[in-house]
Amino acid sequence: MSVQNGKRMIELVEVSKWFGDFQALKGVDLSVDRQEVVVVCGPSGSGKSTMIRCINRLEKHDRGRIVVDGIELSDDLRKIQEIRREVGMVFQQFNLFPHLTVLENVTLAPRQVRHWNKAKANEKAMEHLRRVRIPEQAHKYPLQLSGGQQQRVAIARALAMEPKIMLFDEPTSALDPEMIKEVLDVMEELAESGMTMIVVTHEMGFARAVANRMVFMADGEIVEVGPPEHFFTNPREERTKQFLAQIL
Amino acid sequence: MATRVDTLEPVPLPEPPPERRLPPREWARENLFGSWFDTLLTIVFGLLAAWLLYRLGRFAFVDARWEIIERNLTNLMVSRFPRDELWRVWAALVVLAASLGFGVGTTAAARRREVEEGRAAAAPERVSALRRAGPALLLVAALLWFAQSFQATVLTVAVAAVGAGAYFLGRRVALRGTRGALVVLAGIVLAFGFVMAFDGVGWEDWGGFMLTVFLAVGGILLAFPFGVLLALGRRSTFPAVRAVCVAYIELFRGVPLIAVLFMGAFMIGFLLPQGVDRPSLVTRALIGLVLFTAAYVAEIVRGGLQGVPAGQVEAAQALGLSPVRITTRIVLPQALRNVIPGLVGQFISLFKDTSLVAIIGLTELLGVSRNITAQPDFLAQGLIVETLLFAAFVYWTGAYWMSRESQRLERRLGVGER
Repeated sequence: MSVQNGKRMIELVEVSKWFGDFQALKGVDLSVDRQEVVVVCGPSGSGKSTMIRCINRLEKHDRGRIVVDGIELSDDLRKIQEIRREVGMVFQQFNLFPHLTVLENVTLAPRQVRHWNKAKANEKAMEHLRRVRIPEQAHKYPLQLSGGQQQRVAIARALAMEPKIMLFDEPTSALDPEMIKEVLDVMEELAESGMTMIVVTHEMGFARAVANRMVFMADGEIVEVGPPEHFFTNPREERTKQFLAQIL
Repeated sequence: MATRVDTLEPVPLPEPPPERRLPPREWARENLFGSWFDTLLTIVFGLLAAWLLYRLGRFAFVDARWEIIERNLTNLMVSRFPRDELWRVWAALVVLAASLGFGVGTTAAARRREVEEGRAAAAPERVSALRRAGPALLLVAALLWFAQSFQATVLTVAVAAVGAGAYFLGRRVALRGTRGALVVLAGIVLAFGFVMAFDGVGWEDWGGFMLTVFLAVGGILLAFPFGVLLALGRRSTFPAVRAVCVAYIELFRGVPLIAVLFMGAFMIGFLLPQGVDRPSLVTRALIGLVLFTAAYVAEIVRGGLQGVPAGQVEAAQALGLSPVRITTRIVLPQALRNVIPGLVGQFISLFKDTSLVAIIGLTELLGVSRNITAQPDFLAQGLIVETLLFAAFVYWTGAYWMSRESQRLERRLGVGER
């Protein structure tokens, strides 16, 4: 177990999670340093989503410790809110708020949670919308946009809270093929800007280009961890090889 | 994989399909006389409809003895309300017209400004204020026809003028939506003041259509928030809160409204501690209506809450919004929008069910309609048909107006959706 050196952003120690009788996570250990990009892959049902959803308490872990930016996750609602302010999340289904315009989607949390005034929130929101290359859609409603545009708005919405960490839960799995690139491009830029990221994805091209570390999960366990160059060319574990053979 | 990032232009709106408009003659041939069977149906039902229309029209315009309505119009409108205090009702109407006109005008202007600045999508269709007020205008026209009174006509025109003036004033002020609604709410309270305050007329003298409207509006305004709270309570994570809400909802949904009204009328007095004045009969009737309707509203709203995807809550949680904000900003707006038809149905039902308060001794519109047939001049002449037809017409204009407004609201809130 590594020591706390001030660079550590996320630390999972022996994290386990049950859904009824089914054990979704079996003692997962993972730590992520500041500015590190970790890509998590694995077959469906392997616990990837569950793991990252535990980090901001969308799921409650049953055993083990989760420490985010020095704050240990517990039942204390204030701690949970503190962590959620530092952790942005992007979902497979975008989950934009359909009754609010794009701009309102992006400014809602900064105004309500960070208590920014309207002018500041709008200005910052437009900055982030420019960053995801979609400022001209600010006054539309989410369902008037294409899937790729919606997902980029979702990224801007998460960034608007100025998080230290971004979690991506299969962000391109619900997109038509021609829209995947525009989302991955935005994520790549974000990684280059030094954001700490955990990305659950099957986009191996993206992983190869951006990941500092690859994590392969199966059956609720982390099977293999390693730098992408080793991971893709020379995996140690048999299960990893099988998985890569299927998707590459 | 995928093309360059060039999907950044606005998504073009799909072109509407070309409208298919047939000249009347061809339309009739296609839709009414397409086959021998269609022709048969058209003729049979056409004759039936014509006959019914003829009978109804003949009754309404030839046979009916409308003088019972003409002579009792004030009775029907306000029942026992003291006649030398009627100015209070007119004053209340002026205030209501002013606040409503201002509220509608200011909301419309605020919205137009947003559209002009590109901050909101334009409404899918424009409806003229005249058409929106259609059913209400129909009612007013009928009432004036029956009143045949110069004074009433002048006063009505004055009320309308105040409303119109406030509307144009409101359009120049352009307050944001919720503030416009607050103005209307303030108007309603002030209108009350005009009737009740300063040695005004107490509940015991309220009656007729005025009482109907009061019970309906008061019932809706109180039952709606109460029902929403019950619906939220039923989904609470606290078992005690949940149990209380479930028990309440199931109890009141399992009892007929008449029983609730009776309980309100006779049991509230027993439940109050000694020395506390019993609330008036009108208040007790209102409490009964609210308690009953809230249970139904709660179930309708709960249906809407269940329709909001879990991902919406998760996204809001991930952003760090507090549970209260998640409910008020994310979940409720979507849930309520989806249940507008059900909610308005319940409110229309409440509007008509106010007629049941006759059973505990209040004389609202329907009660007056029945009572006036027992007047010496009209006794035993079978005029109940005329009075019931009149009451039905008044209820219908109100219910139809609510129904149309709800459809309009649905379309407006549906902008940019689905």
